[in-house]
Amino acid sequence: MNILEIRDLQMSFGTNQVLQGLNMVVPEHSVFGLVGRNGAGKTTTMKIVLGLLEAQKGEVYVCGERVHYGTAKTNRYIGFLPDVPEFYGYMRPLEYLRLCGEITGLSSAQIKAKSKELLELVGLEGVNRRIGGFSRGMKQRLGIAQALLNEPRLLICDEPTSALDPIGRRQILEILSAIRGQTTVVFSTHILSDVERICDRIAVLEQGKLVLSGTLSEIQKQHRRNSYSIRFATDQEAEEFAQNDELNNPQIQLTREGRSLIVAIEDSSRGGQELIDLLSKKQMVPERFEAMEPTLESLFEEVVQ
Amino acid sequence: MNDYLVFLKKELIEYARTYKLLILLIVFIIFGITNPLIAKLTPELLASFMPEGMLVAIPEPTALDSWAQFFKNTQQMGIIVLVLVFSGVLSNELSRGTLINLLTKGLSREAVIIGKFLAMLLVWSLSVLLSSLLTLVYTIYLFPGDQVQNLVLAVFCMWLFGAFLLAVLLGSATLVSGNYGSLLLTGLTVVVLLILNIIPGARRFNPISLATRNMELVSNTTEASALFAAIGVTGLAILGLITLTVYVFRRKRL
Repeated sequence: MNILEIRDLQMSFGTNQVLQGLNMVVPEHSVFGLVGRNGAGKTTTMKIVLGLLEAQKGEVYVCGERVHYGTAKTNRYIGFLPDVPEFYGYMRPLEYLRLCGEITGLSSAQIKAKSKELLELVGLEGVNRRIGGFSRGMKQRLGIAQALLNEPRLLICDEPTSALDPIGRRQILEILSAIRGQTTVVFSTHILSDVERICDRIAVLEQGKLVLSGTLSEIQKQHRRNSYSIRFATDQEAEEFAQNDELNNPQIQLTREGRSLIVAIEDSSRGGQELIDLLSKKQMVPERFEAMEPTLESLFEEVVQ
Repeated sequence: MNDYLVFLKKELIEYARTYKLLILLIVFIIFGITNPLIAKLTPELLASFMPEGMLVAIPEPTALDSWAQFFKNTQQMGIIVLVLVFSGVLSNELSRGTLINLLTKGLSREAVIIGKFLAMLLVWSLSVLLSSLLTLVYTIYLFPGDQVQNLVLAVFCMWLFGAFLLAVLLGSATLVSGNYGSLLLTGLTVVVLLILNIIPGARRFNPISLATRNMELVSNTTEASALFAAIGVTGLAILGLITLTVYVFRRKRL
């Protein structure tokens, strides 16, 4: 079942067309990374899903229910973590969670149990200061706790890690990973290593459209190129191998970087076996021989060009 | 209904912890105590500043002077403090984004507006009540036997005008961003109301009469019924403003 469906979404602020017919589907129980440059329309998309902004055209369905602007009943399925969550500085974490719980309509006992469990999950148990004195990382963690309070089926996080130091980032990613069994997570980011770390599906947003989407492994498979990296012990060896007549072919591109040689073969029917044969014929043993997987970074750069 | 109460409670906690409640209560308690005192002491103070041998007839102060102080202080200082203290209650939340979390939790936008208005109204009512009760007690103590008329109605008029300004303030915050914007709009409203009084006959319906003609009521130079039209207009204006504010806020981009 699809937890979130976006159909032909269009949105502009003045003359600036932010979303130009966005279509996107998020299946249940996935960790979905929405990747894009700053200003690509990630936050706008999320705000429309939450009913905070009104789209000019298009439909959004959460758990099969249509989202209406202003009075978004579908928000009961959703937990939301804004990019920089803002709280009431004069409240303590437990008081804030109680407020959220009361708005959602949880019973007092439920709020108590859930708050305790969530504060433990995000590592804020026993913190009884006012939120005004919290660091950014602590606020982000409290943000996750409040977002999970109503046991949402869909957790939406807007750049949850971009403002954090490396340790804070790792902690947030670990929390998001830990809850993947219970809820579907959609998070936006421009930090690609975060996506590689925890997402199973990604979508790349560029100029208000999806330019790439699917599971991570699918995308890598589709964009795999027939290229190999071979590292030799010395520069001379690499150079010697590069000079081979067999490699002197318009279909083969060679790039040498020090003692590494990158061989890109255009003809997909030929492959690494030929290179291994050649190495064996020349009685050369490389330090490393690797079929190159496209990195998310190179893919990203390619699709947003 | 539940989220209205939850939000109202949150607002009251906020006013208590961010000293809004404290500031207003202190200001109005001070007014309450000093109104009769100033009325009582003014002639003596004046006399002590007069040069030796000069005789000026200063009439003996009465309870009316005490209430004149009450309405002057509340109208000039009290309402300004009220508007200043509450100027940011909606605009700050909008600019900081603290409402986003709660709205995405299913809090209705009506509950935000109505909860905030009721919470402000509660604090304002408490302030007026404290101040007027203190003035009343001290006035009876310092000027025993003096009679005043229409006191409850006069105080109610002042209260209603304050409520009207709070509704204007809240509405302004949904129209313009930043708390200076809403302060400016509220100030402008008062100026417009004052100018409207130029039109003959407008005074009868003008909400500003509720804050300017109180002493006429107390000294019985005006019939109570002279203010009924203004009370009606103001009451309707408050209802209209709140309805409009809810309507605008529902459609506001957050």
